[in-house]
Amino acid sequence: MNLTVPPLVAILFFPGGLFLLFSGLMYEWIDRKLVARFQNRIGPRLIQPFADLIKLLAKEEVVPQGVNAALFILLPVIAMAGALTAALYIPMIGLQPSYSFQGDLIVTLYLLSLMTICSGLAGANTLDRFSLVGATRTLTQLFSYEAPFLLALLGPALAASSWQINEINQFAQNNPWMILTQPIGFFVALVGLMGKLELPPFDAPEAETEIVAGAMTEYSGRGYALFRLGRNIELVIGLGLVASFYLGGVNNPVDFLLKTLGMLVFLAALQSLFARLRIDQTVGLWWRVGALLGLLQFLFLLVLR
Amino acid sequence: MKIGALFGDILRSMFKRPVTENYPFEKKPAPARYRGKLVWDPTKCTGCQLCIKDCPSDAIELIMIDRAKKRFVLRYHMDRCTYCSQCVVNCRLRCLEMSNEQWELASLHKEPFEVLYGKEEDIQFLLNRPAQEKADQPVTKPTEPPPSPKMDISEFQEKE
Amino acid sequence: MLEFHTEKFIIPIGPQHPALKEPGHFEFTVDGETVTGATMRLGYVHRGIEKGVEGRNWTQAMYMLERVCGICSHVHATAFVLGVERLANVQVPPRAQAIRTLVGELERIHSHLLWLGVAAHEGGFDTLFMFSWRDRETVMDLLEELSGNRVHYSLNVIGGVKVDITDEIREHLLKGMDYLEERCKYYLNVISTDETFLGRTRGVGLMTLQQAEDLGAVGPTARASGVQRDIRIDAPYAGYSQFPVRLVTESTGDLHARFVVRIKELFESFRLIRLILANLPESELTTRVPRRIPAGETISRVEAPRGELFYYIKSNGNEYPERVKVRTPSLCNWSSVIVLAPGHKLADMPMLLSGIDPCFSCNDRMITIRHTDSNRTWSWEQLRQYGIEYYR
Repeated sequence: MNLTVPPLVAILFFPGGLFLLFSGLMYEWIDRKLVARFQNRIGPRLIQPFADLIKLLAKEEVVPQGVNAALFILLPVIAMAGALTAALYIPMIGLQPSYSFQGDLIVTLYLLSLMTICSGLAGANTLDRFSLVGATRTLTQLFSYEAPFLLALLGPALAASSWQINEINQFAQNNPWMILTQPIGFFVALVGLMGKLELPPFDAPEAETEIVAGAMTEYSGRGYALFRLGRNIELVIGLGLVASFYLGGVNNPVDFLLKTLGMLVFLAALQSLFARLRIDQTVGLWWRVGALLGLLQFLFLLVLR
Repeated sequence: MKIGALFGDILRSMFKRPVTENYPFEKKPAPARYRGKLVWDPTKCTGCQLCIKDCPSDAIELIMIDRAKKRFVLRYHMDRCTYCSQCVVNCRLRCLEMSNEQWELASLHKEPFEVLYGKEEDIQFLLNRPAQEKADQPVTKPTEPPPSPKMDISEFQEKE
Repeated sequence: MLEFHTEKFIIPIGPQHPALKEPGHFEFTVDGETVTGATMRLGYVHRGIEKGVEGRNWTQAMYMLERVCGICSHVHATAFVLGVERLANVQVPPRAQAIRTLVGELERIHSHLLWLGVAAHEGGFDTLFMFSWRDRETVMDLLEELSGNRVHYSLNVIGGVKVDITDEIREHLLKGMDYLEERCKYYLNVISTDETFLGRTRGVGLMTLQQAEDLGAVGPTARASGVQRDIRIDAPYAGYSQFPVRLVTESTGDLHARFVVRIKELFESFRLIRLILANLPESELTTRVPRRIPAGETISRVEAPRGELFYYIKSNGNEYPERVKVRTPSLCNWSSVIVLAPGHKLADMPMLLSGIDPCFSCNDRMITIRHTDSNRTWSWEQLRQYGIEYYR
């Protein structure tokens, strides 16, 4: 669907900015509610993520001793900015992306990784032992899932012969769903999304029972709220990306909602099925199984072109 | 070798009602044997005070208004009680029992936790006695622990 | 090539940490992600119970000792009253012994289900945590119906038990046992086959039989390494001579074996409860015990859900105990954690800690406070006085 929106409105209100924050919080609620229902519990109320956000913004932000204060305060902002900017290039809610140019797939992926790097840096910034271990794990995990995830997203790009997300979206709408032609790629992309978002079973960087909160242990108040918001936005963006590539493109809002929510149900089920993997097991899994599958899919594509 | 061994269970849980009790809005009744608030029947009490001797937390006090005529008032501290029901077991005449009501013990003041049991006239008599008299001192005190030497603790206080 | 091993990198776990339910301090020296050393410090939950019972009479002491631990409260009380009854030389009627055994087994079920959930949570397996705690509600409801409270059942009196088992309770217990047995079979299946869970538990904390004997491990932790010791079989107490238990051991000795041993013990408990309910002897519930227990000293050993619980009771003919010494099983198992920790990854530490089923409240006994030059042991009154003066 084509909707021309003045650039300033696109960035601040719709489909970026406030609307994106709102949808990020809604997706977080749906995810938490689904996981709770899988565990036979009730789960949070609808306004819970909003309440969390408002509460965190209202709390005092404590800057611990020994950190670089400017970096401490800026890193969440940069992470959030990266996540918000990445949303400009994907077809949010089924509408045309606000900005589109050749090669914006690479830019989007880099902006999504910016979030992870920022949280890793934030952990390394402090003197706290837990944060240092968490930062190490975050960056280690970044190196492990990034390659298979990129390969999985490049598959549709190769099929559509373009590096532009908009064009890949159009290609996916006009051709049979790529989940059928590239099933392995879809699977790797979805699980890679779980790795990027640090959802269980890949939540070793944020393992609550081992290192309190990992890289974000020292954060409180506004910085913590921004990091969490960035995570939620990444969830929406990631789901939108995978839906537009593999599930036949997103054309209009209803289409977008149905496809992303369907994948979210699947993600929630995967979250509640497994125990947490240790960081060395994660790396082993991704570099052995993940990269192999990604390469396999890529080879199929090259051969069957 | 199985991945996702819990799969069947979580799928079923999705369609079952959640197991969480909706507590403040729906309260399940306590079972019949639940050890809740203590209840005393003054008609059979002889004042032997076996219940007080074995209470681990000094939750019961027997106030004697007239021993010969068997007029007693029992003061029961709900906040001190551990709900062990030892007093119930000790009483040979079955004057005491633990009801299964009032198990939600949260309050903003201390007063509701002190409960006076007895015949109406005895309680009125107690409340009307002037405060200077030993009205609130129970006649029996719980067993005293053996004394231990007082220590001069000044050497352990922090010297700045 | 620069060497970065000049300073030690120590990760503290506790006293406040999401991995521990109760305070305890562990320091793990790590090198990257691998643990190279471990120390620990306990004593945060010391309440002075052993001293407290010296000022109370025998019945009050029993209630105080029951509160050493919340989840093994019944076995603490049972150990104490068994010792006192032995000193007083009274015979407890058989029905009371059977009911004590029954509730002891119910408590074992309660404790093992709780532990299963907690250990799964430490490994990040939240779904198993939620499911096993949902099933724990069943056994807590059964205990509430039988005794009147969900923890701290307070069933024992010196000389017998307080409550009886009616037919309705018997029906509910049997139904509950059927439900729980089916769920436990499912859990055994899950932990033995789920690949992610096996990845976290297999090969972790491997303790050979010789190590278990040297380090003095007790309870399911030791039985998972092949140690053939169970107080219910070696020295039967209460109703266990009439209703014997079968020994459950594994030989692998790693964390996975500890899971399997505890779940198999649950099956034994189900079988035993059904057996007791079918053959409950008819008799009265209590016997008369004098208020002054004759002088003497005795020991009393029972099998708590965590291992061997050991009581030493000394009486000098009064209404008060002279000395009660409690040695809880968790205290014996700590050395196995500290010795086995180096070589594992940091992520394994919480699971290793919870693998021995620690009960910190049981642990803390009297500590000696060293104050610069003097080395004095404090008594109850002195501690209280110090606390009062400090806050003035």
